[in-house]
Amino acid sequence: MGRLLHAAARASAVFGGLVLFAMALLVATSVALRVTVGRPITGDFELVGIGTGVAVFAMLPWVQLTRGNVIVDFFTLRAPARVKAVLDAAGAALYLAVAAILAWRLVLGGIDMYQFGERSMTVGFPRWTTFPLAFVLLLFLVVAIAYTLYEFIREARK
Amino acid sequence: MSGLEIGLWGFVALLVLLALRIPIGVAMLVVGMAGYASIGGVAALLNHLKTETYWRFSSYDLSVIPLFMLMGQFAAQAGLSKSLFRAAAAWIGHWRGGIAMAALGGCAGFSTISGSSIATAATMGKVALPELERYRYSGALATGSIAAGGTLGILIPPSIVLIIYAIMVQGSVVALFQAALIPGIIAALGYILTVGVVVRLQPQAGPAGPRASRAERLAALAEIWPVLLIFVLVMGGIYVGFFTPTEGAGVGAAGTFLVAVFQGGMRWRGFVEALIGTAETTGMIYLIILGAAMFSAFLGFTQLPIYAADWFRDSGLPPLAVLLTMLALYVVLGCVMDSLSMILLTVPIFWPIISGLDFGMPQGELLLWFGILSLIVVEVGLITPPVGLNVFVINSLAKDVPMLETYKGVLPFLVSDLARVALIMAFPGLALALPGWLA
Repeated sequence: MGRLLHAAARASAVFGGLVLFAMALLVATSVALRVTVGRPITGDFELVGIGTGVAVFAMLPWVQLTRGNVIVDFFTLRAPARVKAVLDAAGAALYLAVAAILAWRLVLGGIDMYQFGERSMTVGFPRWTTFPLAFVLLLFLVVAIAYTLYEFIREARK
Repeated sequence: MSGLEIGLWGFVALLVLLALRIPIGVAMLVVGMAGYASIGGVAALLNHLKTETYWRFSSYDLSVIPLFMLMGQFAAQAGLSKSLFRAAAAWIGHWRGGIAMAALGGCAGFSTISGSSIATAATMGKVALPELERYRYSGALATGSIAAGGTLGILIPPSIVLIIYAIMVQGSVVALFQAALIPGIIAALGYILTVGVVVRLQPQAGPAGPRASRAERLAALAEIWPVLLIFVLVMGGIYVGFFTPTEGAGVGAAGTFLVAVFQGGMRWRGFVEALIGTAETTGMIYLIILGAAMFSAFLGFTQLPIYAADWFRDSGLPPLAVLLTMLALYVVLGCVMDSLSMILLTVPIFWPIISGLDFGMPQGELLLWFGILSLIVVEVGLITPPVGLNVFVINSLAKDVPMLETYKGVLPFLVSDLARVALIMAFPGLALALPGWLA
């Protein structure tokens, strides 16, 4: 289970990185066009914003599974491993609750975007289109957090 | 309870959660959400959260950060740190302490294309530490100088912390990058000078390296052309306003990718490694950004920033004393917290206070000056005990050097940092001249 999750989260992070790389190429192409033909890709900045958003959603599960989120460990440097594990479990539980709320609200936000037909200003990119993917990635994040919570609890029981 | 009291309790709750190892971004989210709901109501909070995550992650202004991260990762894969170090060593390696100075020179060069401190320390550590060991440098000087050199990654633009600061105070990223350049060069020279002083006091700590021939020097210098090209193109383009920082970062990432493939021999595996490295820092940073946005939305509700600014303006306290207290607080906070979180947490309160006081300079200049001073002192936290992130990174690369040695080795560089803060406080022109001249 853990191995499968790690592989999936890694794949998701690489996907996010690829999207970001694509944004870099988009920007570079747009600048090159502006220099040569005097006309950049219309609304490139809107697409870069939207693309980066997808990339970030895709990267979060990997950060959580590899325990890459920043904590202040100064006050617990000398605490027994068990106390640390209990506190880390509490941290994961809080993150789990927050991520679940964010995922729930994101669905409603996406529905709003769809119903109001919200589009980006310049190129008219329909904003709701990336919400389903963002929601799936947030759900994946929730699963990843739940798994780390399980790991911390197991460490605390040792 | 008044909004003000709720705001103060919010800070207390946040500090308690942080002390209890709750991830910084999560702690800010939890307190921010609770505070927001307690003042504005649960319905307002739920409504706010519908699109909050989407807009924070999909911001064009912020997208410059992951693009610079990607560029730095490609630069590391391209082996640019190795050519930079070799070129510097060929020119000054035969001085006493010259190899450590070359490592610092390499860090400074790498910093012109990297916006992250830890990445700079890590990549230069891998290249320079084995060499420093070979020439029998003391563990303290070897690890200390690279840990300090890593901070140049953020002091010399591009700089992630400066981008965040610029967005928070609604200032110009470009002007801040311009303002940081001269202080960044002073930092690099100051560190090199520090090595010179250390080896004068303890000659056995840093022996001289071999002297390179003229032909070797020129050959080594020719190896660093990609760094020069990228720097001139990307940072030069941003400085003169040819493109926006995001455009510069995008062009830089694409260009550095080509250098990594054709010059550094990067293949699929290295490419994936670079993407994963980018994902790790980007994900970490965006969770903190999301938390900080929630927390400052709550603070805005409480009116705490306005109240604090009014109180300090009417208190009659000397502005310089207020500024010094803030900088000192950054140094203390830096002992337990990373630089980005510190900036995100404090600037919503500190900047309104500073901007309400009279320092005898216009708001636009004050914004730059305060930004550069804060940048230097929050970076000090990366190399101060007990939790200096750079020190951890370098120490894990040099297995046989005890942590205490590294902290001892870092001390002289801290002195140099403090001297630089004093210098820029006394002569704001060091930060303000370049933006004034290029504007």
